[in-house]
Amino acid sequence: MIPEGSLLAAHDLRKTYGSTPALDGASFSVHPGEVVAVMGPSGSGKSTLLHCLAGIITPDSGTITYAGRELSAMSDAERSALRRSDFGFVFQFGQLVPELTCVENVALPLRLNGVKRKAAERTAREWMERLEVDDLGSQRPGEVSGGQGQRVAVARALAASPKVIFADEPTGALDSLNGERVMELLTEAARSANVAVVLVTHEARVAAYSDRDVTVRDGRARDLEHAV
Amino acid sequence: MTLLDSRTAPPAAPESPKPASRGAVVLRDLGLGVRFAAAGGREGWIRTLLTAVGVGLGVALLLLASSVPHLLDERNAREQARSETRISDSPDANAPKSDSSVLRINTTTEYHDRTVAGYLMRPDGSTPVLPPGVTGFPGADEMVVSPALRQLLAEPGNELLRERLPYEITGTIGDAGLRSPGELLYYAGNDTLTPAKGGHRIDGYGDSREGDPLPPLLIVLTVLVCVVLLVPVAIFIATAVRFGGDRRDRRLAALRLVGADIRTTRRIAAGEALFGALLGLLIGLAFFLTGREFVGSVEIWDVSAFPADLVPDPRLALLIVVAVPLTAVLVTLVAMRSVVIEPLGVVRRGRERGRRLWWRLLMPLAGLAVFGFTGRISAYEYAPEKPFGIAAGTVLVLVGLALLLPWLVEACVNRLRGGPVPWQLATRRLQLSSGAASRAVSGVTVAVAGAIALQMMFAAMNADFNRMTGQDPTRAQFAGYSEDVTGEAATSAIERFRATKGVDVVIGSVEAYASRPGDYADEDVQPTTSLTVGTCATLRELARIDACEDGDTFVVHPPGDKDMTAWVDETARKGKVVEISSGGKPMRWTLPADSPTVQGRKDPMGETHYGIMATTGAVDAGKLPGATISVQIRVDRSVPDVAEYVRNTAATVDPGMRFVTLDSVERDRQYASIQTGLQVGATAVLLLIAASMLVSQLEQLRERRRLLSVLVAFGTRRSTLGWSVLWQTAVPVVLGLAVAVAGGLGLGAALAWLIEKQVADWWLFWPMVGAGGALIALVTLLSLPPLWRLMRPEGLRTE
Repeated sequence: MIPEGSLLAAHDLRKTYGSTPALDGASFSVHPGEVVAVMGPSGSGKSTLLHCLAGIITPDSGTITYAGRELSAMSDAERSALRRSDFGFVFQFGQLVPELTCVENVALPLRLNGVKRKAAERTAREWMERLEVDDLGSQRPGEVSGGQGQRVAVARALAASPKVIFADEPTGALDSLNGERVMELLTEAARSANVAVVLVTHEARVAAYSDRDVTVRDGRARDLEHAV
Repeated sequence: MTLLDSRTAPPAAPESPKPASRGAVVLRDLGLGVRFAAAGGREGWIRTLLTAVGVGLGVALLLLASSVPHLLDERNAREQARSETRISDSPDANAPKSDSSVLRINTTTEYHDRTVAGYLMRPDGSTPVLPPGVTGFPGADEMVVSPALRQLLAEPGNELLRERLPYEITGTIGDAGLRSPGELLYYAGNDTLTPAKGGHRIDGYGDSREGDPLPPLLIVLTVLVCVVLLVPVAIFIATAVRFGGDRRDRRLAALRLVGADIRTTRRIAAGEALFGALLGLLIGLAFFLTGREFVGSVEIWDVSAFPADLVPDPRLALLIVVAVPLTAVLVTLVAMRSVVIEPLGVVRRGRERGRRLWWRLLMPLAGLAVFGFTGRISAYEYAPEKPFGIAAGTVLVLVGLALLLPWLVEACVNRLRGGPVPWQLATRRLQLSSGAASRAVSGVTVAVAGAIALQMMFAAMNADFNRMTGQDPTRAQFAGYSEDVTGEAATSAIERFRATKGVDVVIGSVEAYASRPGDYADEDVQPTTSLTVGTCATLRELARIDACEDGDTFVVHPPGDKDMTAWVDETARKGKVVEISSGGKPMRWTLPADSPTVQGRKDPMGETHYGIMATTGAVDAGKLPGATISVQIRVDRSVPDVAEYVRNTAATVDPGMRFVTLDSVERDRQYASIQTGLQVGATAVLLLIAASMLVSQLEQLRERRRLLSVLVAFGTRRSTLGWSVLWQTAVPVVLGLAVAVAGGLGLGAALAWLIEKQVADWWLFWPMVGAGGALIALVTLLSLPPLWRLMRPEGLRTE
């Protein structure tokens, strides 16, 4: 049922919001260091699948296994701890905390994991340098451009050395040039650190950065290479 | 016209509409604002509703405050209407009787620290006058009671009160006869009451005399209480109309994009504020009318009111109706001066240079200048205009403190660095936008500063309005006095007090008058002194007696009063006869020749006794004519309800017995009622402020819903965000309290100087600081459930 060697795998996920089905028997898997694009039209259930995989919401039925552990059997606190330690996130609008400076935003996941402020900010600066936004450290998110903010968000997602990054339309609010640069930096950094990336997008040019595509339609995921 | 015609002659382009007049433009923009507020979708409605509920709470409190004059007038009118019209000023058997006259005696008692007012009444004829609210005269051993007393008597656990009022309830006193719905009052019928037993004759009810005017210092205090309680309400309303300002500014930016100029956006914003304020007025009226219905069943610090008494003063109500929307518009326009709404977004002005201090200091300084200009006011000076000068100065100082707060919060939070994640999130949030937090806290600052200043005033005036009674509650806690009983009854009464549960010591004496026998002309005064009969233990409490045995007698001189000493000696001649009488046949008794002379001493009531004192073995108290009983009772406080046992004994001895609880200090009633008013008002204002802070907090949380969901996605612990909310509330409140303590102490000292008093206590601010701390805890606790709800991952959904 679980593809061999997969880091994160889901099988037959079902989730409804009220009477609207968002997932209707979706299955999915990703291997360490692999970049998988989850594609599909608006309202197809891509984001719901990502939220289920990340343990942010629980599916109504189906199984999700991460590194051999059953996610749906974990308590809310355990899933929260897993997200702090093993997962990173990039959202469409960056969703940086507006009152924190950029370096504090990048350091935030580390600090939530209990790392001391100075050490967390030192690591954060290293990631910011790698994402080419090291000059924005003391700026607040409201003072930087959309593309810069998204790179800060990528740095934040990578700072805590996660095993999986969940990116939900990471370039949706950017122009093509900025979007491509963000994707280059995200995928390069992830591959070099052997981090798996689950990339939700509806743009083919963004999906082109992935190793594999999964299409979601009407709540069902279709994985052409790893049919599960 | 043919189809061809229409092709060859296309219709002319429509004419451009004529530009509207300026007035029409203003109305259109205001109307647009109202439409945004009223039809802005769910988000718009929530924002408008938050503002309206905030304004409504303030308006309800203002309407309540504006009802106080009518409330007091009505209460006073009812109180005067039920005050008795005496035929004679003193108990007088010769006062003319009539078919409608009534003999009555005040039998007011206390039960569990509550006053139970009551009267025994005996009709002289067949149509006795009835007190207001009473429809039928109660027969002997029957009583009519207020609804509150009826309820209290019916409640389990009040057997001791039922024992004290053993009359059959035959009727209920109507509202017209009660000060307030919570008043405990009864009128009991009696068929044995006589003028000799303390009854006095009345032939009607109603007193048209004006009450005593308030002394100048109490006028100052009353005006200050109003100022201190109402300024935070005004600030609260001003804060409420700014709820959701950020979202509104973004909407206005969108309007700028489609061509609205800055003036238009301001008018639209004014229209939005106007709608929120008008809706708030309606909601406030609804809150007031709904709350009014419940006010009759609520009692805070013995204060309750009839709903019908809560009618706002028309002039004050009109002022509220006009001032609230006007304030809303003004506050909105002033707030918009600090932002530039551009087509591509909103820019806040002045972030680089920070808030300026100098102009914020002008207002408190102006307040102090008004104090200086008004000048000092003494306790006896008639200066009707001065209290209002003091009030104006106080308003300026308090509002000035509220203006200082944003500067202080900004200056302090900008210096905060580092710390754990919750602390960092909170301080960074405050650094980014300290204005909203300061505004929410400014109400607390003003309320606490005002309350501290008032407490200092109360403490400074304490001596003027709290009289030292001279009573010594360590020697006895209760005292009773009953007139014109037989000596036998008096001695038995003292024994009954001794036998009462929880009573340790009874200083009980039987007293009568002793006169020097002889024939005296009408113009001569017959030498007379008092004869006090009691046990040796009792007599030692009344005079400095070293050796005493049963059968001993003493001549007691008042210490330090030569004239009275000589007058006592005129009657108390050792070895000579004295006459003891009360109008009837006198009893003759010889004062033993070996009676020692001693000095009198103050009893626990603080009264000095002198005359002749005799032990029970020397004079048979049971045979004394026209005796009075005096008892002073020391009890064992550890016995539950001991006070009620003693009062019950007093009621069975003589329902008309004057029975008091000894207290070393007696508070002036007007002063006490102002202090109670402050407590009631401060409670209402603090609750309002808590509501304001909570609404402000919820609004911020709603604005950050998506961000909170993202933080949850990271795996942020709930406790982390909970602590961050706590710090976000606590930091401005602590700074606000610091300003309040400093400002309140300064204002209190200035006010004490103005009324020519010394500051009696500089540490009075602690309870207020405690209340502020409780407020932080309350707001944080109430913020947590919505925070938990907003932290759900649903916030991440965009489709």
